[in-house]
Amino acid sequence: MQREGPILESLTRRLAETPEDFLSEPRIGTAGQVHVAAVVGDLLQQLDIPFTDDRLAPFFGADARRDRNRLAITLVLCWLLSDEWFRAAKPKSDELLQLLHSEAAELAAQAASKRFVADPDRREELARIALARLGFRPAGETVAQAQDRLTTLNSAERARVMQASRAAEERARKIREALVKKAAEESADKWTRE
Amino acid sequence: MDTRMTMETLTDAERYPTLTGHGRRMLQFLREHPHAPIFRNESGNRLTEEDIARVRAFDHEAQAAEVGWRSGELPSWLGGFVERCFAEVPFYRRYGSTPVDFQSLPTLSRADLSRDIAPFVPDTAAIDRLINFRTSGTTGHPLLLASHPVVAASYLSFHKRALRRMGIELRHGRGQVGVVLVGYQRKCFTYVSVTPTMDESGLAKINLHPADWRDPADRAKYLDALAPEVYTGDPIAFAELAELPLQTKPRALLSTSMGLLPAMRLRLEARFECPVLDLYSLNEAGPVAVADEPAGGHVLLQHQLYVEILDDAGRSLKPGERGEVTLTGGFNFCLPLLRYRTGDYASLDFRGREPVLAGLEGRPPVRFRAGSGEWLNNIEVTHALQRFAVPQFTLHQNHDGALRLQISGGGFQSEAIRRCMLELFGQGQSLTVEAVSHFDGKVVQYTSDLAGAQP
Repeated sequence: MQREGPILESLTRRLAETPEDFLSEPRIGTAGQVHVAAVVGDLLQQLDIPFTDDRLAPFFGADARRDRNRLAITLVLCWLLSDEWFRAAKPKSDELLQLLHSEAAELAAQAASKRFVADPDRREELARIALARLGFRPAGETVAQAQDRLTTLNSAERARVMQASRAAEERARKIREALVKKAAEESADKWTRE
Repeated sequence: MDTRMTMETLTDAERYPTLTGHGRRMLQFLREHPHAPIFRNESGNRLTEEDIARVRAFDHEAQAAEVGWRSGELPSWLGGFVERCFAEVPFYRRYGSTPVDFQSLPTLSRADLSRDIAPFVPDTAAIDRLINFRTSGTTGHPLLLASHPVVAASYLSFHKRALRRMGIELRHGRGQVGVVLVGYQRKCFTYVSVTPTMDESGLAKINLHPADWRDPADRAKYLDALAPEVYTGDPIAFAELAELPLQTKPRALLSTSMGLLPAMRLRLEARFECPVLDLYSLNEAGPVAVADEPAGGHVLLQHQLYVEILDDAGRSLKPGERGEVTLTGGFNFCLPLLRYRTGDYASLDFRGREPVLAGLEGRPPVRFRAGSGEWLNNIEVTHALQRFAVPQFTLHQNHDGALRLQISGGGFQSEAIRRCMLELFGQGQSLTVEAVSHFDGKVVQYTSDLAGAQP
């Protein structure tokens, strides 16, 4: 975060205006439209970052249930990072690929991809994370201010996700218990049995 | 887990929350009849007044609704259903954002449901009303499924729809027995109940196996005393029922659980002088379709169930192409299904807006090698045997190509069946036809040791 980046609003506005192509279904197996690995490859070329094909391996995806949200977030990030400002900034290859892969995976566990476009707080979070992971902070902010705001946004979301996850686990436990009760076993009248 | 909870049992008040004097008398009649079987279990409709209103409202909707969509289109309710699944069901929530294109949705398998059913139960389902349906299956994936008394009671709406297609409107009511569910197994869940939406008509689930009766002759006496409007069961139980000297006649038989060969259906129709309906029904989705010969296959029964046919890679196939029957939607609001691959195979044809499942077969296809070296799909065997009134059969091909056909209840036709099989496979085919008294419940019908048997 040592270097000053663009005005935050220019990035959040860009996210709000993400074109449909970048919100399309990632291609995994035979389903989906967008080959995310190809889009990442295009971005790297656009940013003049040399790469070998093996660096694109994480962006193919194998299991739609596991990978589609992560790859959908990668696509949104690709749109964000193809902004003129990033071309000029020349981000480092490793940092960029880590953002597109590992960071996208972490965010995928927290929210559905389209929330990073539709929800103002998530847009701001994604823009700040992208800048921070590439070593920048929003224009007009000190390092402390930028860190503080990112932590606030990020930790609030993480806390919400943790709480939701605990509640979901507790409910799942109750469902499992309810289903093995003798009362549930007695079932109820169906006119036919399978 | 608290063991006291697992031992909790219900009282009659909980089994039949709205029971009146009429219903009580019906239960007493069913349980205490001098020729009654040994009832080994207890169950009930579990329906509250509020539930009954809900079941009735659903029934009106189900009877009035149009079932189907145009070839190449999606039904209008589907988008909203997918949105709700993504919003309310933990398992689907993990997929991320709702896709624009339905066919981009990942598919589900029986193994997914078998692993843990809890994440498939929507946030909106009341845990204290959950009931379960268990199935051991034949695929190595036993299921424990979440359901609700309203769902169980709503099966009847689709039975009524299927019966109406054959020109039958149910007319039983108070003081009469609506349905007897018959089984023929060494061990079977048996009980009596009443159906509140049919004015507390009687329901009995019985086992025709002699071990469940004080005297096997009681079976016909008891069933004649009940004189149910409908019998439901599988072809094995119906084969046994057909042997009993019954004086009374039902208005229809509903066959589920396993395929019903056309000749077996004709034999039952001749014996009982009523229509015999072959229902395609799954624990995971309830009654899906009913066989309708003039329509060319099984016609769909549920107005909010979308059926696709997928290939192995999960691609949606065109009408007429054979693949795996895959379901989305359903009326079990405790288990909404998104692209659930059933493990059953068919093609989907359209008669106008009406989709028809053609050539429906349980389990993935198996190929058998004929003497000429040609591979024959199992559906050809089913077609060849459809004129025989056999309740159940299995076919296995050994490493050396020899075939072993086991048939239950059709031993008297062994020679004709042998000739039919040799016509199909060639006269030089090594074939054993073996009559067995019965199979133990559901079996994997087609198996092979040969490499290349799975196309």
